[in-house]
Amino acid sequence: MSFRARRPHRAHLTRIAIAASATVLVACSSGGSDSSGSSETTSSETTQASTREVDHSRGVSDVAEKPERVVVLEPVQLDTAVALDVVPVGTTVLSEETGVPEYLGEDAADIETVGTVPEPNIEQIASLQPDLIIGTETRHSTLYDQLSDIAPTVFMASQADPWPDNVRLVGEALNRSDEAETVLDEYQRRCDEIAEGFDIAGSTAQLIRPRDGILTLYGPTSFAGSTLECTGFTTPEHDWEDISVDVSPERVLDATADLVLVTAVDPDDPNAIPEAVASNEESFPNLHVVDQSFWITGVGPLGGQTVLDDLERILTEARA
Amino acid sequence: MTPTSPVVDAPGAVRAYPRGRRARLGTFVALIAVLLAAIALSITVGANPIGPGTVLDTITGGGDDESRFIVWEQRVPRTAVGAVVGIALGIAGALIQAFTRNPLADPGILGVNSGAAFAVAVGIVFFGVTDISGYVWFACAGALIVTFGVYAIGATGRGAASPIRLTLAGIAVGAVLSGATTGLTLTHPDAFDRMRGWNAGSLLERGYDVLTPVVPLLVIGLVLAFGVSSAMNSMALGEDTARAQGVNVARTRVLVLVAVTLLAGTATAVAGPIGFVGLMVPHVVRWTFGPDQRRIVAGSFLLSPILVLLSDVVGRIVVLPSEMPVGIVTAFVGAPVLIVLVRRRNASAL
Repeated sequence: MSFRARRPHRAHLTRIAIAASATVLVACSSGGSDSSGSSETTSSETTQASTREVDHSRGVSDVAEKPERVVVLEPVQLDTAVALDVVPVGTTVLSEETGVPEYLGEDAADIETVGTVPEPNIEQIASLQPDLIIGTETRHSTLYDQLSDIAPTVFMASQADPWPDNVRLVGEALNRSDEAETVLDEYQRRCDEIAEGFDIAGSTAQLIRPRDGILTLYGPTSFAGSTLECTGFTTPEHDWEDISVDVSPERVLDATADLVLVTAVDPDDPNAIPEAVASNEESFPNLHVVDQSFWITGVGPLGGQTVLDDLERILTEARA
Repeated sequence: MTPTSPVVDAPGAVRAYPRGRRARLGTFVALIAVLLAAIALSITVGANPIGPGTVLDTITGGGDDESRFIVWEQRVPRTAVGAVVGIALGIAGALIQAFTRNPLADPGILGVNSGAAFAVAVGIVFFGVTDISGYVWFACAGALIVTFGVYAIGATGRGAASPIRLTLAGIAVGAVLSGATTGLTLTHPDAFDRMRGWNAGSLLERGYDVLTPVVPLLVIGLVLAFGVSSAMNSMALGEDTARAQGVNVARTRVLVLVAVTLLAGTATAVAGPIGFVGLMVPHVVRWTFGPDQRRIVAGSFLLSPILVLLSDVVGRIVVLPSEMPVGIVTAFVGAPVLIVLVRRRNASAL
């Protein structure tokens, strides 16, 4: 059964959406004979023998031994699931226009999208009959009860936490903790390889994301920043507000470093470099434009590897 | 006539204002002084505190690379853009308030802003425009096409395009276009991101490359605005009286609309929609100088750049090390002023 309701924008609509999704659930569970995961009672009855407990930010959930129909609501969860060879049946996306990020490869391209990261579509998630849903407390807190009515739901605390911790949680939810450690080790090994290959220790690097004339400088706890630091770069000191800091173009020289990266939706766009940086080119001798889709939003082991490949290409070109 | 009695819309009635010629002249001189001070502040104060001494050094040819960049490539062009945008918005507001005889009208009432915004959204979504100098042409074209469309709608049917019909047509077209813009940007998140920046109304990264091409349009708009002000004084007495005084009412209306479109359209094209300036400034000027359109236009010419430049200076230092777009600052200043305007008993009636 497929029907689309408006996205629940307000509390009022949320209630309507709850009623609507409940209707979907009743219809599904009465129509399908033994489809597991339609509600908590059925899932615990049919899969009781093969569940295990997963600790997460909302408590403890009984999750199937080998979840097969997984829905993820956050980029790092999507990236990790694909990296661990559990291609989700549904995922939210940052932009419905661009869809699933290209860097995740062909397997991921066919994943059904279920709304956007901040606004997942409950009906679409329910219609996929998942056996596990992974979400994020800071973004999807109010949806937890609705989601756990559909399938066992595991929440990570925050997308701002160090991403390797979130990778481990996703690994645990998927019952692939060992594999999660392996992909994290591979990432670290790749970092070390680049660190040694280019003799990076002691150099500084700064990633800039231009927005509406303002420059957002990303700090060491951001995904891009932590990846740069992983290869031995240090990030110049700033008064970070959480993972980044916004500065006026008048302070563009605060962004100088041995290696400066500017993110863009389309790195080939001739306007990708903001005017303030372009007017001070002598202060930015080692400047490169990089793709925002993995440098900013590609959080996870696969995105990390893609960033490291791109970084290696840039460092090789700069050395030549 | 006492100052609290309703204002009579006649140039002659201005003499009844308590201020004499000398007092008005004094106010004009004071406004010029404040404008110069605002320009000086706008060049001296910013998100990078380099100190007035360094700024003076740089202006006179000295300074280092960083201070030259800050003064000559950031603050001076930005001040020029702010002053020009302010003048355009203020005078467009003075024209539209007199034209619609609505003291709370602003230039957006004819659909100028929504037309410009829609055109920019179309440019981003369908033509892949990504920089400000590209937006300018879409915004200009959008503002012009929409205002002519509004005029065409207002002029159809019986009778001439009366201000009330134009206002209704402008509001209707504006509402449709705003809906279309929202629809476009909600389905294209990248466009949404870019429009969010443009929609706030900002002087950041607006340099001479954006300003120079629109200056001729603005000059035409200014000449028209000053040119029609006597005719508008006559029209304030009623169309018949104006005709009896030899004013070509239909032509004056078209000229006013062309001027408003050129001024408000290009200001919006350059900086995005900056609210409240076109509403507040002519209003405050009318309190001070009375209803003579010539003085209102002249006063708005001085007061609106002051408002925009000072708002921009505030926007540069309230969220250090970042900046707040000037359109948000004018909204913060404008909302309380609007409340005062509405609560005032004789809200500088027209």
